[in-house]
Amino acid sequence: MTAVLEVKDLHAAVEGKEILKGVTLTIRQGEVHALMGPNGSGKSTLGYVIAGHPHYEVLSGDILFNGESILDLAPDERAKLGIFLAFQYPVAIPGVSFANFLRAAVSSVRGYKDRAKEEMARTGQLREVGSELMPMREFRKELFEKMDRYNVDRAFARRYLNDGFSGGEKKRGEVLQMAMLQPKIAILDESDSGLDIDALRVVSDGINKLVAGGMGALLITHYQRILDYVKPEKVSVFYDGRVVLTGGPEVAEMLEENGYGWIENHLAELAARQ
Amino acid sequence: MTTMTKSKEKISVAAVRRLSKRYNEPEWLRFARLIAWETFESLPWPTYKEETWRRTRLTGFNLADYHLPAADAARFPSRQALPEHLRQELEKIDSAGVLILQDGALIYRELDDALVEKGVRFTDLRSALQEDAELVQVHLSALVRAKENKFTALHYALWQNGAFLYAPRNVVIEKPLQVLVIQGEGLAGLHHSLLVGEENSEAVVVEDFVGARQGMSDSVAEIFVKQAARLHYLRLQNLDETAWNFTTQRASVGRDALYRQLQASWGSKLSKVWIDLDMDEPGGHGELLGLYFPQDRQHLDHHTNQNHKEPRCTSDLLFKGALEDHARSVYQGMIHVLHDAQRTDAYQKNDNLLLSNHARADSIPGLEISADDVRCTHGATSAKVPEEYIFYLMARGLSRQTAKRMIVQGFFEEVINRVPVPGVRAKLEAEIAHRVGIE
Repeated sequence: MTAVLEVKDLHAAVEGKEILKGVTLTIRQGEVHALMGPNGSGKSTLGYVIAGHPHYEVLSGDILFNGESILDLAPDERAKLGIFLAFQYPVAIPGVSFANFLRAAVSSVRGYKDRAKEEMARTGQLREVGSELMPMREFRKELFEKMDRYNVDRAFARRYLNDGFSGGEKKRGEVLQMAMLQPKIAILDESDSGLDIDALRVVSDGINKLVAGGMGALLITHYQRILDYVKPEKVSVFYDGRVVLTGGPEVAEMLEENGYGWIENHLAELAARQ
Repeated sequence: MTTMTKSKEKISVAAVRRLSKRYNEPEWLRFARLIAWETFESLPWPTYKEETWRRTRLTGFNLADYHLPAADAARFPSRQALPEHLRQELEKIDSAGVLILQDGALIYRELDDALVEKGVRFTDLRSALQEDAELVQVHLSALVRAKENKFTALHYALWQNGAFLYAPRNVVIEKPLQVLVIQGEGLAGLHHSLLVGEENSEAVVVEDFVGARQGMSDSVAEIFVKQAARLHYLRLQNLDETAWNFTTQRASVGRDALYRQLQASWGSKLSKVWIDLDMDEPGGHGELLGLYFPQDRQHLDHHTNQNHKEPRCTSDLLFKGALEDHARSVYQGMIHVLHDAQRTDAYQKNDNLLLSNHARADSIPGLEISADDVRCTHGATSAKVPEEYIFYLMARGLSRQTAKRMIVQGFFEEVINRVPVPGVRAKLEAEIAHRVGIE
């Protein structure tokens, strides 16, 4: 079954201020959907709300994953369904190694932890420490394979999560996490920002490989630049908390030529006609 | 331990005399005990008017509630003969020697033959008094004096036993030495740690304090790190959460020597811990590491001094604490740099992670510098677990509980990765995981 994430007339606020004002959008597995819009239009907020950030309040509308609402699910439950948010600014967590963190995350998402709990409930015996985790040998093998495949230095494994990482390293780290967690739908929040051309190639290449493997991506971006490397099937234009236009790749080209001012004029025209 | 009698006695000057008589102690020691008792009686109980007691109250503490053990528990002949839980505890660390003390009685001892041949002494303080009277007499009470505070005075009047290490010149003890100090219910435990690292020797001592349910512990540690010696002292306080705990510790670091101490404070109802690091000769390096994680209504107070007396010494202090529930911690620290201690490089940092809105961490770092060519840095932080960290980890599929556990473990990692014994690191990590709560 092809997974579908549908955002339906979503209104959401932060600290009482409405940021999302009726977003409607569909993202399918295996498809790249670019979401373009000016800074401050609420694109990142959409990513946070889909991932379940507690800071944002959903006022109305719905988010459906395969037809079922996910609004009542905690962020970890959404992750287990196969939803992934690649952060624009991944937080640095000192003292937590990338490998340990990722092993815990993979174990949770792939159900090792739930199975260990079920086993404990069934047998009534205390489980061994670590039994809820993916076996170390297996995990390391897969991690190193994917590090090589996605151009991430193996030294990452021992480093603390995003701690002291450059902008490019953080974004590579997000791609590696995605490769390990194998989400069905990923929201990529400005995965191109702050990258030099080499890093942009590596990150884009990673996204393409994952999409080829069946992942669906909502590519949130301010610039046309990443779209030279990652080709979207659909392009939506985001403006003032809403999707105002959805079309094919030609929409991105129009934006590139005319800038976001074109959208403003276009909207003003529409309003005048009504 | 079936032979252990239930008899016990009250804390009094008569108890001091009986103790000395029971063990047939030399005159100098009997005399020292009586003087200490006099000092104890002459010193007032601490009040909040003293700076060190401003944030820690002894409300509810009554010395008359605690008794002294009046008979020694029996010795176990071999590791196999030990109760299962003790054997398991010992197996966590690959050690070269073991001492187990139960209420002042040495109940088990091992030491590698190779170390015995090299002249290493690792035994309980009572045996050391018999076998190496002079070594004990020279060092005992040379660093921590009876008159230092009410609790050191009580300690020197009534100490029951202790751990004694003597690492001779140029002897490297590669594996750690392990001491387990067990205290029974309702008792006063007065344990003395006396560690001597002679010139160019090397040793790691791990000392665990457990038990003391409804009891009180009043311990002293004196650590001598002589010229170019390298000594690590890892103290794990795992007392019952109904115990009162008072301890005074001081290390003297010699020329070009290296000393590293860890104080991990998990248990006790209330702890007052004084730790002094004396940089007594030029070129020494000292480190004080601390971990604490109080829960419920535990109150843990650490008061440190980094005393730089001579030039070219470095000292580095890092105390990290996480607090849950209504717990309270106090960290008070001072770097003293005396006039002659030029080119001192001293660092002091205390970080606190508040896991509850009701927990409170007080941090009072300080500097007193009388030399002009020095580099001293200190700092303190106190913060909650950032919600952004939790969200990031949860967005990767970790439950809130696991996310929190990882963040807390990460917070302590900075201290733990400086602990040189893998078995101790594992114990610390397990204790932290246990405290944060495993699902």
